[in-house]
Amino acid sequence: MQPIIKVTNLSKHFKKLIAVNGLSFSVEKGDVYGFLGQNGAGKSTTIRMLLTLIEPTEGSIEIFGMELKKHRKEILRQVGAVIEKPDVYKYLSAVENLRLFSQISGGPSLNRSQLLDKLEMVGLQERADSPVKTFSQGMKQRLGVAIALVHDPQLIILDEPTNGLDPQGIADIRNLILRLSHAMGKTVVVSSHLLSEIELIANRLLIIDEGKKMVEGNAAELFDPANTIVELNTIDNKASLAAISDSSWQANLQPSRNNLIVLKMHRQQIPLFNRHLAEMQVDVISLQPRLSLEDYFLQVTTGKQHVEAFKD
Amino acid sequence: MWKLLKIELFKIFSRPRTFISFGAIAALVGIIQFGLKLDGDSYIEFMLRDVSVSLDVEGKVLNGYLICFIVLQLLLVHVPLLITIVAGDLISGEANMGTLRLLLTKPVSRTEVILAKFGAAAIYTLILLVWMAILALFVSLLIFGSGDMLNLKADYIVQLKSFDIMWRYLAAFGFAAIAMLTVAALGFFLSIFAENSIGPIVATMSIIIVCTILSTLDIPVFNAIKPFLFTTHMIGWKGFFDVRVTADNEAIIGSVQNLNRVLQAAGILVLHIIGFLVASIWVFKKKDILS
Repeated sequence: MQPIIKVTNLSKHFKKLIAVNGLSFSVEKGDVYGFLGQNGAGKSTTIRMLLTLIEPTEGSIEIFGMELKKHRKEILRQVGAVIEKPDVYKYLSAVENLRLFSQISGGPSLNRSQLLDKLEMVGLQERADSPVKTFSQGMKQRLGVAIALVHDPQLIILDEPTNGLDPQGIADIRNLILRLSHAMGKTVVVSSHLLSEIELIANRLLIIDEGKKMVEGNAAELFDPANTIVELNTIDNKASLAAISDSSWQANLQPSRNNLIVLKMHRQQIPLFNRHLAEMQVDVISLQPRLSLEDYFLQVTTGKQHVEAFKD
Repeated sequence: MWKLLKIELFKIFSRPRTFISFGAIAALVGIIQFGLKLDGDSYIEFMLRDVSVSLDVEGKVLNGYLICFIVLQLLLVHVPLLITIVAGDLISGEANMGTLRLLLTKPVSRTEVILAKFGAAAIYTLILLVWMAILALFVSLLIFGSGDMLNLKADYIVQLKSFDIMWRYLAAFGFAAIAMLTVAALGFFLSIFAENSIGPIVATMSIIIVCTILSTLDIPVFNAIKPFLFTTHMIGWKGFFDVRVTADNEAIIGSVQNLNRVLQAAGILVLHIIGFLVASIWVFKKKDILS
């Protein structure tokens, strides 16, 4: 099957700075494609090249099987995007912003009731006529998503879509992305520097660092569930540690860098371990699998932003 | 393209600050009209002080036509600032707000965006001039009445018959529109390079001030460049108020003393507009949107 996005040997140089360096990847139809990298890794530059905001220094981009440079308008009619902060016209209302962008997005013209339906999808129908300058960052973000979806695009590109959102807002955007992919068959590219965000929604991942591809693949494979790190917090961690040390789980214990008890096990063993804790009458406060991908992510990226003071 | 133009106009006229210019012009014209209504005779006396000894001027000198001429002389120097506030903000303001990147991810070409935005700036400029014409010409005619118009030159006076004036104002406002569009095109061009509107507005006004000074300085070394400065030609509208005369020094109705020079000035301004617009398209098409 032909990929929705095919990027080949893409590079972007800003004078001496190489922002993106020979990047190649492909996104298949229906993917929720996670685009991961630390701040400054080249995610936004790549996304801007996908959206024709930045001219690549070299390389090629094909979307829907067409060369982006030659078929820009045709391609962008089927693409919706949120790029970093979804800034919109603050002096206009939500519905005015939506109408304005719907008129140039290449979709059919929408009446007010259809525009309100789009706002309802992101929970903004109550504030449809309020000026955007009165909106919180989270509401602007939702409006940005509504604008990206207003013309019912096949491909949705979201650059850091949960920036500035509260936990409920993050969960709403996450659910919306999953709905777009699973229920509506859309292809979604989501970039983030937050692994926890991508891990929950993406079926395929690309990790880049200093503009280069570090790894691309199936999220399930990259997670390596056999080596899941689990953090346990109990009422009396000292006594609990002693109890675990005397049990069959002793081999799973890992050195702890905080007051928590740390174990390594296959993800499927976690419920068994939980039952065992109950049998041992350990009073559990929390039992949390630490994201194994996080370690992987830090391992493949340079970790240059982790200055000494922030290390565990 | 038409859709984009409508959207740009909608954006311009949805912003309260757009109407500051209309308010400013109304206030300035009103102040001039008020001042001349109260003490217009002293002003006319001062204007005619050199010729009153050799010439007996009768009739209603201070009429609506003369008031409009005075207003244009005083205001057309300042209107560029009001135009630049909008034109200098069209790209840079969007870059600053972050909406430029969203706009350019839509299936519209950058050339279309530039043409639509400049088209909207041009329409705003024309509406502003129409507003100015209504206040300066028609309201002045209502307040001060009609009559022949005296146009005082350095060494002669032109007397224009009342029935021979209106078309000259239409032509003068048409010329002023071209001059103001040149300013709009310059402000618009500069706005492509900036990510906030203050820079292009200040830069445009600085260029206008420097070029105006160079245009008016009577230093021989600058004479060679004067014909190439758009500011030299911006006052070409005054040419419509100079008439050709007969051997008996009678004004020829419907004539313009140096029509070729006026048309040449308009042509040079049009070339500037085209130049700035083509440069805007060229730069904008190559620009990486990083805002």
